[in-house]
Amino acid sequence: MAVTDPIAEGLAKGWAVTDGATLDQDQTFEADVVVVGTGAGGGTTAEILAKAGLSVIMVEEGRLYHQKDFKMDELAAYASLYQEGMSRVTRDGAIAILQGRCVGGSTTVNWTSSFRTPEPTLNYWADHFGLDGLRPDQLAPWFDDRHQRHNIAPWQVPPNANNDTLKRACEQLGWSWAVIPRNVKGCWNLGYCGVGCPTNAKQGALTTTVPGALEHGAQLLHGLRADRLVLNQDRISHLEATPFAADSITPKPVRIQIRARHFVVAASALGTPGLLLRSEMPDPYDRLGKRTFIHPVNATLAEMPEKTDPYYGAPQSIYSDEFNFKLGVDGPAGFKLEVPPLHPAMASGVLPGHGEVMADNLSKLPWLQSMLALMRDGFHPDSQGGTVSLRDDGSPVLDYPVSDYLWQGLRQAYLRMAEAQFAAGARQVRLIHMDSPWYRTWAEARAAIQDIPMRLHRARLFTAHQMGGCGMGKDPRESVVDGDGRHHQVSNLSVHDASLFPTSIGANPQLSVYTLAARNSHQLASRLNA
Amino acid sequence: MPRFSSPDETAPDTGRRRFLKTGLGGALLLSGASLSAGLSGCATTPAGLQPSPSSEIPDSYRFRFLTHQDIVLFEALLPAIVGSALTEQPDLRRQQLRATIERIDAGIVQFGPANQAELRKLFDLLNLGLTRITVARVWSSWANVTTAEANAFLERWRTSSVGLFNNGYIALTKISNVAFYGHRDHWAVSGYPGPPEWATKSLPQFQTSA
Repeated sequence: MAVTDPIAEGLAKGWAVTDGATLDQDQTFEADVVVVGTGAGGGTTAEILAKAGLSVIMVEEGRLYHQKDFKMDELAAYASLYQEGMSRVTRDGAIAILQGRCVGGSTTVNWTSSFRTPEPTLNYWADHFGLDGLRPDQLAPWFDDRHQRHNIAPWQVPPNANNDTLKRACEQLGWSWAVIPRNVKGCWNLGYCGVGCPTNAKQGALTTTVPGALEHGAQLLHGLRADRLVLNQDRISHLEATPFAADSITPKPVRIQIRARHFVVAASALGTPGLLLRSEMPDPYDRLGKRTFIHPVNATLAEMPEKTDPYYGAPQSIYSDEFNFKLGVDGPAGFKLEVPPLHPAMASGVLPGHGEVMADNLSKLPWLQSMLALMRDGFHPDSQGGTVSLRDDGSPVLDYPVSDYLWQGLRQAYLRMAEAQFAAGARQVRLIHMDSPWYRTWAEARAAIQDIPMRLHRARLFTAHQMGGCGMGKDPRESVVDGDGRHHQVSNLSVHDASLFPTSIGANPQLSVYTLAARNSHQLASRLNA
Repeated sequence: MPRFSSPDETAPDTGRRRFLKTGLGGALLLSGASLSAGLSGCATTPAGLQPSPSSEIPDSYRFRFLTHQDIVLFEALLPAIVGSALTEQPDLRRQQLRATIERIDAGIVQFGPANQAELRKLFDLLNLGLTRITVARVWSSWANVTTAEANAFLERWRTSSVGLFNNGYIALTKISNVAFYGHRDHWAVSGYPGPPEWATKSLPQFQTSA
């Protein structure tokens, strides 16, 4: 199969790409629009604006990595492609935060699952946040458009054993399941999506919209941290930024200014509120950084009788929404069931333990199967999400209290995942939880899970989906931006990433981000070209 | 990495918790450990250039975060953390330990300043004699700690009802486990065969010059 690297080709023919590490003196750039962030939201925005004839500068704090760097090696990838070298956590250390930090953002390292925003979620937004323009039928053409742009289609290849276990469990238990739509083209079914696609099959921002923007004359400044948007009256005049040395962590003593007519921030649900907080943007109703959602994730592990090779094959291809919206959009916490891939560093980092216990557990790796639950947070009065604030060094940090409401959902999820694994024939099952032994039967597991402590640090929690913090809404007293992503108080500022979402999505969010960013960017292009 | 300045865990053991907030092991002490270590002349500067027995980096590895004391700490903890996965053969074992500690250092460098500051507090707390004894309840200096004693310490923090200690346990074991099991030298321990050979043979980035 032929593999072409659109980034290598584009660089060779002279795309306007600048590595911050090469910026040695203070400099001022200028464009019609500055887009901060090159992930799902920023890439989409930059491409659409550039195609509309606007001059665009993309600013990315991570570095430009592409096929030559993607060698299916976990340690190298976690250190270079993820926020804080994969060590990002909530303020109390209780929830691990997986988030990309590179050109393409999290789309460079995600597992390619591409879901439309569930209809109950969009209707909830319309009913509770005045977002009638985002009703399912209104958004349908935008979803179709993004399906095409990112080559999204249900995975045609049979699921790997890890995913097939979820499918068999659902069939056994009479639960609904379906095949996951993926954004890939010519996928080799290798299983290394999380460490940078080695074949350029993944149709994330890195291989689609970022090249599309560059092809239309946009400029990319990577290894450049957006420090502060500077207000002049009620408009932003420029962005102040600091380049990093080639190690991507050492700031250089160089000041970069970028002037523009309009500023789009798409720096993630931690990064966007972080930048707006550092910039002291008007926030008259104290909404900035509030209602941050994370789809809290818990997980279980099974030892299967047959080999699973959980490191090979498309990492996510089967899901179950059996427990997601069943009890109502705003009922008890619903969750989506999926599986994670297991490679040795990930497995040994996620599973709590040490010594003989850890060595014994990891020696089972080729037979291990894992399930995860994405808790749908933000739809209930007892699920108000977390808060992003700034640390002493100006970097954003998330406080995320886990309410009893969510703990109940997490316990239900442990139960259903263990039940599913036993139904699919697991020899034994354990929770990713500090107090869980291996359980030999479903009856034993059920009894134990009813009593297992549901507390921070004991239950190991994760998030790969950060959302909210610059929530959209009709009422400025309850939101940061309007339904088109325009900041309520600052006229030349827009937000085009997952921080827009007024609740979590209830599904992996990348397609929701692509879609809203595309819709908002077409409107923005019309306004700026008017 | 977990944060070592905000012990806001709602531990059921309230007497213990009160002790932690107000007594020797409290937040003030944890934040102060770095300062005390600095004042008492403990080495808080990175160990820098070290002769390395690692085969990967033939000459030397320059430590950018871990201090001499941190290295001794991990030399004591790693045999308990990765346990039987380490080889018995003394020279090779020493090399494995050393290479793992180098990878821990290289990993932490990428964590960035905020999480590095948290780890610095944790390591200083474990290295400073007073806090090592009162908070970690490890009586000997790390250079003299046996694997059994290191394991007992890890077990205390793993099973503690105080979230802060659970956090410390996760921090120490996670960076160690990932640095050890995640490296190609140790993939065989988990039965992971590595990336499929048919793919690495046909992809340009795996060819020799890449």
